[in-house]
Amino acid sequence: MTTIQQPRILGAGVNRVDGPLKVTGQARYPNDFNLPGMAYAAVVRSTIPSGRIRRMDTTAAEKSPGVLEVITHENADHLGEAPPSFVKNPQPPLQDDVIRFYGQYIAVVVADTQQNATAAARRIEVEYDRHEALLDPHDPRAERIKDPWGEDTAWGDVRTALNRAPVMIDQTYTTSENTNNPLGLFTTVASWDGDTLTLHDSNQWPNMIQQVVAAMFGVPRDAVRVLTPFVGGGFGAGLRCWSHIPLAVMAARHVGRPVKLELTRPEMFTGLGHRTASINWIRLGATRDGRLTAIEHESLTTLPLDGDEYEPCSSVSTWSYASPNVTTRDQQVRLNIPWTNFMRAPGDAQGNFALESAIDELAWEVGLDPLEIRLLNYAEVDPKTGRPWSSNALRQCLEVGARRFGWSERNPEIRSMRDGHELVGYGVAGVSFFWYQQPCSARVIVKGDGSAYVRSAVTDIGTGTYTIMAQLAAGLLGLEVDQVEMQLGDSSMPVGTAAGGSGLTAALGSAVHDACGRLIQKFVDLAGTDPFSPLANVPFEDIEVSEGRLFRKGEPTRGESLARILAVHGLTELSADGNSTPNSPEQLGMTPAGARGARFVEVRVDEDLGRIRVARIVTVNDGGRILNEKLARSQILGGTVGGVGMALFEETVTDKDTGRIANATFGDYLIPVNADIPDVHIEFVGEPDAFNPIGVKGVGEIGLVGVAPAIANGIFHATGKRIRALPITMDMLMD
Amino acid sequence: MREFRYERPATVAEAIRAVSHDPEADFLAGGTTEVDLMKDGVFHPDLLVDITRLPLRGVRRNGTMLQVGALTTMEELAADRTLVERAPFVVEALLRGASAQLRNMATIGGNLLQRTRCRYFRDPAVPACNKREPGSGCEAVNSVARMHAILGASPACIALHASDLAVPLVALDAVVHIQSEEGERLVPLTQFYLMPGETPDRENVLRHGELITAIDIPLPPPGTRSIYLKIRDRASYEFALTSAAVAVIMDGGVIKEARVAMGGIGTIPWRCFEAEEVLREAPATPDTFRSAADGTIRDPFVVPGTAFKVELAKRTLIRALTEVTS
Repeated sequence: MTTIQQPRILGAGVNRVDGPLKVTGQARYPNDFNLPGMAYAAVVRSTIPSGRIRRMDTTAAEKSPGVLEVITHENADHLGEAPPSFVKNPQPPLQDDVIRFYGQYIAVVVADTQQNATAAARRIEVEYDRHEALLDPHDPRAERIKDPWGEDTAWGDVRTALNRAPVMIDQTYTTSENTNNPLGLFTTVASWDGDTLTLHDSNQWPNMIQQVVAAMFGVPRDAVRVLTPFVGGGFGAGLRCWSHIPLAVMAARHVGRPVKLELTRPEMFTGLGHRTASINWIRLGATRDGRLTAIEHESLTTLPLDGDEYEPCSSVSTWSYASPNVTTRDQQVRLNIPWTNFMRAPGDAQGNFALESAIDELAWEVGLDPLEIRLLNYAEVDPKTGRPWSSNALRQCLEVGARRFGWSERNPEIRSMRDGHELVGYGVAGVSFFWYQQPCSARVIVKGDGSAYVRSAVTDIGTGTYTIMAQLAAGLLGLEVDQVEMQLGDSSMPVGTAAGGSGLTAALGSAVHDACGRLIQKFVDLAGTDPFSPLANVPFEDIEVSEGRLFRKGEPTRGESLARILAVHGLTELSADGNSTPNSPEQLGMTPAGARGARFVEVRVDEDLGRIRVARIVTVNDGGRILNEKLARSQILGGTVGGVGMALFEETVTDKDTGRIANATFGDYLIPVNADIPDVHIEFVGEPDAFNPIGVKGVGEIGLVGVAPAIANGIFHATGKRIRALPITMDMLMD
Repeated sequence: MREFRYERPATVAEAIRAVSHDPEADFLAGGTTEVDLMKDGVFHPDLLVDITRLPLRGVRRNGTMLQVGALTTMEELAADRTLVERAPFVVEALLRGASAQLRNMATIGGNLLQRTRCRYFRDPAVPACNKREPGSGCEAVNSVARMHAILGASPACIALHASDLAVPLVALDAVVHIQSEEGERLVPLTQFYLMPGETPDRENVLRHGELITAIDIPLPPPGTRSIYLKIRDRASYEFALTSAAVAVIMDGGVIKEARVAMGGIGTIPWRCFEAEEVLREAPATPDTFRSAADGTIRDPFVVPGTAFKVELAKRTLIRALTEVTS
């Protein structure tokens, strides 16, 4: 792997500040916590997709060795409604006898050891009244929700434009259900002390968990403390308050002891949601020279019976390319399935596969280079509003990527390149990722020795938040990175938003930026009250900060260290709170652009066996300002692996009659192994983004997007076969 | 937890006696399949008889035979120099058959006895599985089956025998040494496995209390070329969609002798006698290979998810033959 330095936008690739803790085993993840007197919980899940529990026999379980308590809907606490966050959270478990999907929690067993709890859970016998389940998205009885988020979009006149278009593409693209599969098994350790509750919990948003649990158990929010300083990955799986969390809390209340509930891998498949399958119907109209005149994009995705989900697959078609006529519509269908949920690049991953496949088809149809057609239709301004972008280096991503990849060496004919048994193909895809940012807050404190610490309730799911925020604060306070201590993942700290939507860096970074500005102001004000200070009477605008000192711009000797200012005023520390709220596009007169990117892949397909191999990947991304080149590269690389998985391997398989997930193990659900991932060339381009004060766009998800269509497009170039369904497997390519 | 007893006898005789006299007892070797299945609630032995310290480990050359102790690990056998030299396709099957961690635990005897990866067998919440609960039916036949058998399969069971190692071993006519309280018997590996028929729960000829103590691997003559070609969706750490083990003795462009077996397609490791018949004394040409392949995949039993394997298996064999003869 190589990365080309672009110093203007690239921050130093310093190592993770939490790296030593992690590699020496000192970072404590939720399942590492064992409290005195702790009991263990095991869940029981339904084995039908729809119906009612007629009878549960818990006698054998209750008599099982070490069992402390068996909780079913018959003796569960009545819990309060779960408030929504930006989406619905699952309603409290065990409140009725209704089965809504296969794998729903129907009991929890608490025992003195994990083994005893698990053994007892298997002794519970259940009789059901089985109802017919809705499992097929095409089932006419299933409820359809049109325009679920009020985001269906239309401008121009797509109907007329399509009718008049000299060239049209009209195709359907589908993607499979995928499961997030963070490596760390989600765990909740719940511990009551009177009416206050402490949770060590795996999630991506401690304040949300705090709020939901408080509401369910009828206690003030401040009575619940959620600790998530470390979590073993999320990929979106930790963005809701899943039902095992209140189960652990309820269990702890029942037995009067701390309770640990650690999900098993199969339980992770049903208990934390999954990326919805999608059907995308796309019609493109274009001129004979490949200029888009119309885009129509409709999507259908799935929903559980009682949940909701924000998965606007068609939205990518409103901001990716310039077209005078665009219509996008999304629909959802409710089924008896486990919850659908965010998974790295929700909506975008699926919608981009469809759009970038269709654009590729159009290129072949009009005889244009697939790279050229993307450059030709580049959207100079936001095609929906006509406003300028806050930044958009899609063109540069495509051009730089093409050079690094050697795109020009490609023989444009299909089936024209081969190496032994293998047909070789080159594929390209563009990526225009969504923009997302939520309010966030942070506190920055400078201590007597001049070092600082930063606090926020947000968590670092492994992306590097600890490190990049330490770098950012150090830069703003004029300190070294190792002089800034980060304290995250505690709901009692300043309220933070989700580690999700690629939005945390902008949200928290802007809050840290705000707090540092306010803190410097406080120091300046303080110095101003000291007539002997060299900074007295220096206006704030003229202050510079470096090496732990404030000084007058251009006069480095006229200054004072932060530590000295505190000492002079007899203070042990000085702190400031910072907040960030997303700017308004109307006020700024620009459209916030998410990250942009381009993917170039070389694929090899065994002509007889259909076996597919990705031989090379070049991924170029515009993430605005990159705070840490090494960690950003790590995010892109991880996303690329996820993209290869989505393209070629990952499929959550559901039995069509029972709704049971049939491949809920790491042996059966295929994620790429090292040998499936080729050399990946990663590069960053672009400018600091104008929409937030720190210039970042967030790169947690974009790495995944576009990999699948680039592979599919490369397979078409290699074989002449257009595969419009993911994952692409060898049986689809055998002649 | 569900309690069970554990014993570690000092001798082979004691181990066999302990299991023979308890119908709910099982031997425990590397445990890489057995312990998983216990955790999943598929196996519930009352007594585990740990044989891992018994003197059944090691590889000995015995003339044209390699005698492999049943407790030899996959990794140890894969490192055997004679095998590397004389029958490299066995080594390839071992190395492609499991990760290094598993190869260091799993034994050769246990590998031959590994249970199917059928998702319906391995989840006790699925009621219908003739292999797990005789007479209960087969859920896999009606469900999503990609990793399943097309040969030897029936509506009663389509579970695949997933061993890679067993594929070249049936091709070489390996022989299994089986010890019981009555004494020792030798069974050719080609007759060791049972077709599921109406009793998919019976997978081999072992009777309760019988223990595999060794496997004899006849070494092919010097000059034999061999290959183990394994086809799967991802590059490693996956069971075969199809695989072919081929050993040939060539005389110019003519195949003098051929041994062929296939994996990933059968309810048992599939020895391809028809293919060998076609190949013997035949020119190494695409036509020969195609007719060998057609002869192998006869009367397949397919479900929608496995239909593609009919052609994939043929092409896998053709590719293996092409590579090994060229």
